[in-house]
Amino acid sequence: MSALGKGMGMIRRVMALALLLLPLAFLASTSAHASARKTADGKVTRASGRCGSCHPDERVAFEKSRHAGEEMHCTSCHGGNDQTVDEAAAHSGPNWRGKITRAEDPKICASCHSDETRMQPYDLPVDQYDLYQTSGHGKGLAKGDGKVAVCSDCHGSHEVLSAHDPSSRTYVTNIPRTCGTCHGDSTLVRERKLKDTYHEYLGSVHAKSLFDKGNLKAPTCVSCHGVHGASPSDIRNVNKVCGRCHTAERRYFQAGPHAAAMAAKQMAECSSCHGDHGIAPSETARLATSCVKCHAKGSKDEVLGATLLATYQAAEDEIRKAEALVAKADAVPLRTEDYKARIEEAHTYLREALTAAHAVSPEGMSGYTERAKSVGEEIQEELKSKLQNITVEKIFLLVFWFYVIVTIGIIRRFRDADAEVVK
Amino acid sequence: MSTLPKAAPATSRWDRAIDWVDDRVNLSELFSFLTHFGLIYTPIDTKRPLRDVLHQVRTTPLESYARWPHILGLLTALLFGLEAVSGILLAFYYQPTTLSAYDSTRSIVRDVMLGWLVHHVHMWGSYLLCGVVLVRMLRLFWDGLYKAPREILWFSAVGLAWLVIQLDFTGLLLPWDVKSYWAAQRGLEIVWSLPIVGPLFSTLVGGRTMSEDVLNRFYVLHIIVLPLMYLGFVYLTFATMRRVGLSRIAGAVPKLTTFRRHVSDLIVITLLLFAGLVTLATLMPYQFHGAADPYQTPKGTLPPWYMLAPYALFQLPIPRWIPGLGLLAVALALPFLPAIVKGAGERLDEKRLRMAGLGVFGLWLVLSVLGALVDRK
Repeated sequence: MSALGKGMGMIRRVMALALLLLPLAFLASTSAHASARKTADGKVTRASGRCGSCHPDERVAFEKSRHAGEEMHCTSCHGGNDQTVDEAAAHSGPNWRGKITRAEDPKICASCHSDETRMQPYDLPVDQYDLYQTSGHGKGLAKGDGKVAVCSDCHGSHEVLSAHDPSSRTYVTNIPRTCGTCHGDSTLVRERKLKDTYHEYLGSVHAKSLFDKGNLKAPTCVSCHGVHGASPSDIRNVNKVCGRCHTAERRYFQAGPHAAAMAAKQMAECSSCHGDHGIAPSETARLATSCVKCHAKGSKDEVLGATLLATYQAAEDEIRKAEALVAKADAVPLRTEDYKARIEEAHTYLREALTAAHAVSPEGMSGYTERAKSVGEEIQEELKSKLQNITVEKIFLLVFWFYVIVTIGIIRRFRDADAEVVK
Repeated sequence: MSTLPKAAPATSRWDRAIDWVDDRVNLSELFSFLTHFGLIYTPIDTKRPLRDVLHQVRTTPLESYARWPHILGLLTALLFGLEAVSGILLAFYYQPTTLSAYDSTRSIVRDVMLGWLVHHVHMWGSYLLCGVVLVRMLRLFWDGLYKAPREILWFSAVGLAWLVIQLDFTGLLLPWDVKSYWAAQRGLEIVWSLPIVGPLFSTLVGGRTMSEDVLNRFYVLHIIVLPLMYLGFVYLTFATMRRVGLSRIAGAVPKLTTFRRHVSDLIVITLLLFAGLVTLATLMPYQFHGAADPYQTPKGTLPPWYMLAPYALFQLPIPRWIPGLGLLAVALALPFLPAIVKGAGERLDEKRLRMAGLGVFGLWLVLSVLGALVDRK
């Protein structure tokens, strides 16, 4: 037993020593990991080579970027030699470029990003540079305007991240702010006589959907203006651009009288009523209120708008009444699942009616409002009769009381049966 | 067995049948046990055969309590009986889980034959029981019926009142309806604010907020623990009454009646009570407001009515334990009122005491109204 005890003591001591050494081993391993890997011939294999010795901030930004992991080095853009810390040696060589100017920025990016052979493995498009040339930004740059956006303004210079990375400036929820860096800059927009479209957008229903509801499919700047070929939409194209998502609205609009008339007068179709960047949520009241923006007050066109609104509201009213009855039936409770489904259906018709209203034709819209209305009326009728069935219980109550009173009468006779006996 | 007294000779087949059972089971003892919960209060010799006992009961004149104001005590027992029967029927269908409580309650009201009647009768019975118990306490106080030798009667009256409130509070949560859920949640917050008792109670029922545990424990309290305690207090009430007799105005001669009339009156009262409940249940049914959603407090959420006064007190800008301590002191002092009054002096001014009691009751009413107005801003 004692031999075994000695053995155990020995094991304990060794384990204690190992535990003491553990932190040291950990430190050693992490410091080895942190330092740049060197090959046998002393070459530094990290993306930033030895440049970080003098440019630590750029090194940190670059090492985090999407480029750093993809065989890109400082020298890929800036040229020079990244294996030396001697300034003269590092900043020299046949391809030494040094600081990149705004004017040459797109060309340098394009040297890889327009190369199909290089981009194919990443499944990236190669037309960005060509698109950029067609954009307002690209045209401005070509004219020597030094303030227009170049690649690095939106993507970052050293810290380029994938558009799928939520911390990237080009991630969908960050795009408005990225464009807003210039298009929301009050000094810059005043100088260039532009609209502050960024802040307008922030108040729009699109921005609410994107930011408040987290709908990543909600339109941002690039959804309408294009990504690299960024350009303002032509007035004649507004309905086409909006119609990319609002297909049904565009179809009805083109069937209506407004399409041809507005095209003839060079008016922006959708945005005349809805606004452009600060698009407001669709309000049914606008069926009547937006007409007088162009048409005279009291004109037959204003009356037409009022008719549309009245038709819509009549249907909405019936549905609301039906909903109130469903709530009443729910409190009893009756089975209301079917009614709820039908009310949902009626709401769909109502929604469709608003879309159909873009043709500005009461006949076209009433097809939907009438259907919504009749569903509402049917539900009301059915529920009213079901709720009335409950009154039958009240009639039974009278019968019940009759029997109670009769029973009490019988008991009273039984009660007084022994009156004389006790006396 | 031969030492037992013999009953009068059997004259009918029915008498012989009773005798046959009575020779094998002590029916008199069983009868005596039943009468402990009311019905009659003639002394019964359980050693004598049942037929003799029944004869004695039938022929001894007694003072009926099926008359105002004694009927209040009777109603606390009768209503409890109706609640027990309807409650058992509800328990056949009710499922005490957060997932199915609401739907099973709705299904009782909607799908089960006459389920709506049972459910609504149970609800109205609880309202009436609360009222009856409260009025009875006020009446006992007003007429000074806590004085010797009726201290235990007062004690059990207060006990019954506390139990009714707890039964109502635990039952309130069970439908898991949005209104009842939040009322119970508010109530639980008030209970939690009472020093010492609050945390103890909240731990006992499974937490400060509503959950599966709380629902389950409320259910067990509602259908087993509290009703058994209630039954105990009902027994205590009738046991006291058998010893000290019915209360009566000083100098009045007791009005005697026969057992037959007494029992007839009891049946008529039960029938009227049931008919009244059925009427209320039909004309003013329970309303469902939707299943409880723990993430959304509806507007105008209030605790149950008996907690409105503490609710108003807790809105004061002082630490909650101060009004909590006060409430606790009042609650604990109430059953021991006879001892406190006795300690105050030999001759107590009954009129002043009545006025003080009335003042406290008035204050409670005012606070309750204020509590109901708290969230109406």
